[in-house]
Amino acid sequence: MNPEHDTPGSAHDEARRSFLKQSSLLTAMALVPGPLVQAASAELDEKVAAVFEKIPLKLEVNGIKHKLSVEPRTTLLDLLRENLNLTGTKKGCDYGQCGACTVHVDGQRVNSCLSFAVMHEGKKITTIEGLADGDKLHPMQEAFIKHDGFQCGYCTPGQIMSAVACIREGKADSEGEIREYMSGNICRCGAYSNIVAAIQEVKGGGQKV
Amino acid sequence: MNQFQYVRPTKQQAAIEAVAKDATATFIAGGTNLVDLMKRGVMTPQKLVDINRLPLTRIDADPGKLRIGALALNSTVADDKQVRARQPLLALALNAGASAQLRNMATVGGNMLQRTRCSYFYDTTMPCNKREPGTGCGALEGINRMHAIFGFSDKCIAVHPSDMSVALVALDATVQVSGPKGNRSIPFAELHRLPGDMPQKDTTLEPGELITAVDVPDGPFTKHVHYQKVRERASYAFALLSVAAALDLDSNNIIKAARLAMGGVAHKPWRLTAAEQALVGKPATEETFRQAATVAMQGAKAFKHNAYKLQLGPNTIIQALKTAASAA
Amino acid sequence: MNEQPKPKKQIGAPMNRVDARQKVTGAATYSAEYQLPNMTYAVLVGSTVTKGRLTGIDTKAAERAPGVLAVITHLNAPKPPSPKPEGKDPSQPQTQGNPLQVFNDDKIRFNDQPIAVVVADSWERARYAAGLVQAQYAKEAHQTNLEANADKAFLPTAAKKNPKHPMNDYQRGQVDAYKTGAVKLESEYVIPTEVHHPMELQAITAHWEAPDRLTLYDKTQGTLATRRDFAKQWNLPEENVKVIATYVGGAFGNALHSWPHESAAILAAKVVNRPVKLMLTREQMFTMVGYRPYTWQKLGMSATPDGKITGITHESIGQTSTYEEFTEATLAQTRMMYQSPNVTTRYRLAALDIGSPIWMRGPGEATGAFALESAMDEMAYLLNLDPLEFRLRNYTDEDPEKNKPWSTKFLKECYKLGADRIGWSKRQLKPGSLRDGDWLIGYGMGVGTFGAHRGAATVGAQLLPNGTVLLQCATTDIGPGTGTAMTQIAADTLGISPDKIKFELGNSSFPKAVTQGGSSTVNSVGPATQEACLALKDKLRTLAGAAFSTAKAEDITFEGGQTVMRNDANGKLPLQIGLRNNPSVKVSYSDILRQNGQQNVSATVEAKPGGEGQKYSMYSFSVHFAEVRVHQLTGEVRVSKLVSCADAGTIVNEKTAGNQMKGGAVGGIGMALMEHARIDDRFGRYVTKDFADYHVPVHADSPAVEVAFVNQPDPHVNALGTKGIGEIAIIGVAPAIANAVFNATGKRIRELPITPDKLI
Repeated sequence: MNPEHDTPGSAHDEARRSFLKQSSLLTAMALVPGPLVQAASAELDEKVAAVFEKIPLKLEVNGIKHKLSVEPRTTLLDLLRENLNLTGTKKGCDYGQCGACTVHVDGQRVNSCLSFAVMHEGKKITTIEGLADGDKLHPMQEAFIKHDGFQCGYCTPGQIMSAVACIREGKADSEGEIREYMSGNICRCGAYSNIVAAIQEVKGGGQKV
Repeated sequence: MNQFQYVRPTKQQAAIEAVAKDATATFIAGGTNLVDLMKRGVMTPQKLVDINRLPLTRIDADPGKLRIGALALNSTVADDKQVRARQPLLALALNAGASAQLRNMATVGGNMLQRTRCSYFYDTTMPCNKREPGTGCGALEGINRMHAIFGFSDKCIAVHPSDMSVALVALDATVQVSGPKGNRSIPFAELHRLPGDMPQKDTTLEPGELITAVDVPDGPFTKHVHYQKVRERASYAFALLSVAAALDLDSNNIIKAARLAMGGVAHKPWRLTAAEQALVGKPATEETFRQAATVAMQGAKAFKHNAYKLQLGPNTIIQALKTAASAA
Repeated sequence: MNEQPKPKKQIGAPMNRVDARQKVTGAATYSAEYQLPNMTYAVLVGSTVTKGRLTGIDTKAAERAPGVLAVITHLNAPKPPSPKPEGKDPSQPQTQGNPLQVFNDDKIRFNDQPIAVVVADSWERARYAAGLVQAQYAKEAHQTNLEANADKAFLPTAAKKNPKHPMNDYQRGQVDAYKTGAVKLESEYVIPTEVHHPMELQAITAHWEAPDRLTLYDKTQGTLATRRDFAKQWNLPEENVKVIATYVGGAFGNALHSWPHESAAILAAKVVNRPVKLMLTREQMFTMVGYRPYTWQKLGMSATPDGKITGITHESIGQTSTYEEFTEATLAQTRMMYQSPNVTTRYRLAALDIGSPIWMRGPGEATGAFALESAMDEMAYLLNLDPLEFRLRNYTDEDPEKNKPWSTKFLKECYKLGADRIGWSKRQLKPGSLRDGDWLIGYGMGVGTFGAHRGAATVGAQLLPNGTVLLQCATTDIGPGTGTAMTQIAADTLGISPDKIKFELGNSSFPKAVTQGGSSTVNSVGPATQEACLALKDKLRTLAGAAFSTAKAEDITFEGGQTVMRNDANGKLPLQIGLRNNPSVKVSYSDILRQNGQQNVSATVEAKPGGEGQKYSMYSFSVHFAEVRVHQLTGEVRVSKLVSCADAGTIVNEKTAGNQMKGGAVGGIGMALMEHARIDDRFGRYVTKDFADYHVPVHADSPAVEVAFVNQPDPHVNALGTKGIGEIAIIGVAPAIANAVFNATGKRIRELPITPDKLI
């Protein structure tokens, strides 16, 4: 954890504020005609922004520790997909309404699209890429294959991450309970019957998930 | 989404000051509503004060009440043994909301403070007095099937979307608040406001005030409770209308005490005290429930597309009370 | 013993998907997931008015925002060398790939029409800058309500020009004969606008690899159609445009057309001269990539008291845009499903200021079946007849529209399978007879049909030195399991194990094939796969020399290959070609190659339909049986049981085919109970913008769907006997549910979706 980001009024905060002032000055200048001024200020804006608009972030993703520098407005989902090249986590709505972006944060399933990456400082993230044990698939992945719990495959990583959590949470005791507690993961192809069968098999098999 | 400053204080006072002194600042906890609104440009805070490091996650089982920290997660509260035993209605309402993933992110404080789901509020190109005072209410003459039948004004007919809050208002909860001027308690029924001429103001909180906890007093409502939520699909949808019902029955099935509140009908969770009184002293029968439902709906007024709520309201009240009465 | 065990028959086996591992591990790569150097991100700015002209557009603030590389509008956009003229060619029978030209002029044709695209070095920066673009408009009055414009509805231009066009009015027997029938009904039905909403947001990564070479990683159902459209737009030889769609995250029809965002991304990539990634938002999925059009229908039907239909008149008005005429076969099922001497159909369009519709799963047939199959149920009640019995009394043994025999029709068998499984005998004719506490229980059925379409397709097959076979085809897979089915077909044709076969698709450079749509992929690509494999064997036979000269392709067997262990020196048996009827005749594959001086053996074969369509009427059929529970106080509907039975010819893979049927059933639940995209006509703008407002079924809405196939090959469609599944999986589901709701409650809902407000 970086103490610099812990307290309002810190050095970072002050620097950011002066950047904002400076930035609006540059914006005002840019209203004056003159391509040169515009170009110069845009260039400066860009460089200043790059320095001040990002803040450090430490995360552990699938067992790998990352030291990153990110804009506060970058969501965990976009960080995974665009910065870390972990595109297994999907963007299906970007508003927490479909579940395609489901990952585990410190073991809990969450919608990665609805939180800023910086809010996860120091946390452990598991994505679909981190679920298998090397070449050995997780039992839930195996069950999804066996029961054909998908068609196009786009919601699948989110369904699988959610399904694993569903069993861990103890919310997979009946077909009805599975359907309710998996309702945060939409499958537009409609493979629900097969997904439920896969979860029931893993749950019934009693393997550790 | 605009850039914003991000700070992560560890002290409550620092968090409150950060928001109190900066009108463009706002708290963020679970983020499940705020991040969504920021993506669409509906809310454009210049500074986010992340309060997740504040020690406000505890659920304290005190004598006579449960004190639930504002940062307790919806899922944690819904699964908490004390909550399930002492306030099962709250657990039911929580589990009726959102999805398992969202309940793992959303906090109790944030759930109370979520904004309306009115489509006109969500679209920055549409008129909306709540989002941009003075632009008019798009829903008034628009598509208003989700909208209010109680307590609206000609400035706003939006409804509050929280399920949890419907249970909390029924259970006479109290919100603990800390602000620049110190601490205070707000009866839950007074936390949310009616739109009146200022629909932009959802609650009675002052700038910089932070919800720290909600107290739910013990009562006799540990068995005969039900949260009936009617929605357009079986799960993971906002309510067309919902009812929180709690009964205390004697051995002859006579109602000793009753609590009743509705969601999806007003700018705030809608407590039905007159209907509660109409239940007390009567036998727990469908006829009694029907009479109470009639009382509950007095004063309701519909718009072009939500007239169905005038029928769905009493029906759902009856169903909620029936289920509550028969809960074993 | 060199003999391998004979591989078991793969066609019909419930084989796991060949791409399953990629899909469950997150390794499957969709169109926004390719990593290219110097990637940039594009975000579209949409019009906030519905009709009119742009009078000004201020991009200064956006241009100055950090990270922004370009802001492109109609004022500064380079014009593609040969932009297509606005509007489609009216002589074409159906909407063709005529994408709206973006940034071409100042005209606004629908709300959220792209007016600018912002390109930046990150997605966050592009999105922020897009919000800074300010536009001014000269607004004009717009029309977005179909019913308000029904009086202006018109016969499609293509039909006006061509009297034989299927969208013309149809007449069999007497005009509007139902009006004088003994028992008659006349009902109006409405299907609201529904949106495909595949889980993958529409996305494209556009990369100009050279000034005249374009590569697109795109969400498309037709790599070749997309290639053709954009090659034409940029006046490039088709081979200079490469379209890659290895994985498509669902589409349901909305990737059958080329859309404005694709043009925008290609333009943007040209301007910044770097790869551009553009992914639509969920809001934009409503406005610019098609939808199932709002459709009004009126159905009149008459019957004799003993249940023989004497007349049907089916009229519909569907929505289209002002710049394309979109048509679909809404009235097709009515002309051929039931025996009626008199049938009239009239199809009209109303042009509204909304983006163009596009076929959505089951397309017009699903819309039309809601009216027809609801009316069948209504008539059964008027006649006091079991709806299944009523259908049987009007069953057609040959196509009454074309007066041709069916190639195959096993719909009666489907009825029987489905009725047994749902427990149709429990059903009471009188509505409201069955209940469980406050839940009223009802049963209903709905029938579906869709043409067993087949197009030309080419597959390339290569036998590689390691004994594996690589097959390639430009077709796509949006989820049904195309590669899996083709692998099974190839395995049986070649007589080798499926794990030695790789079927590659989703690339415009591969041999050409039909677009994936209209349930035609297996019908078309299946035979091509089969014939390519046979040609491969034949080629081997020829190359193998004299010993094989009299053998037929089916006599050729494969033995060995690198994966078979043996006690010889290198531990590996070279691949050998043998003769089935004479095991002593063998020649090693490496010898064949050496003798002929070749690296490998390959065959590319085109397979196309012959004249069978002239002789036979070819359709797939389905029937869906629903059990619903309706809460008598809250009006909530739950589908508690759904049984879907299909006569789809040969079932190549019972697991993936069954899944496709289940998925169609879930789509039908959405149609029946919740899907409704609403526009506030004052603004011409959708108020349903995401999955919170526009509901699609979730896990809790779906029962465990039961599927049964008749699984009888159709000998006429193709040699495999397939007929197609994708559409019949959904056609007829919504009316089955609506009919079950009537059986439960006595309430006939003729305007979908059946939401609680309509039942209390």
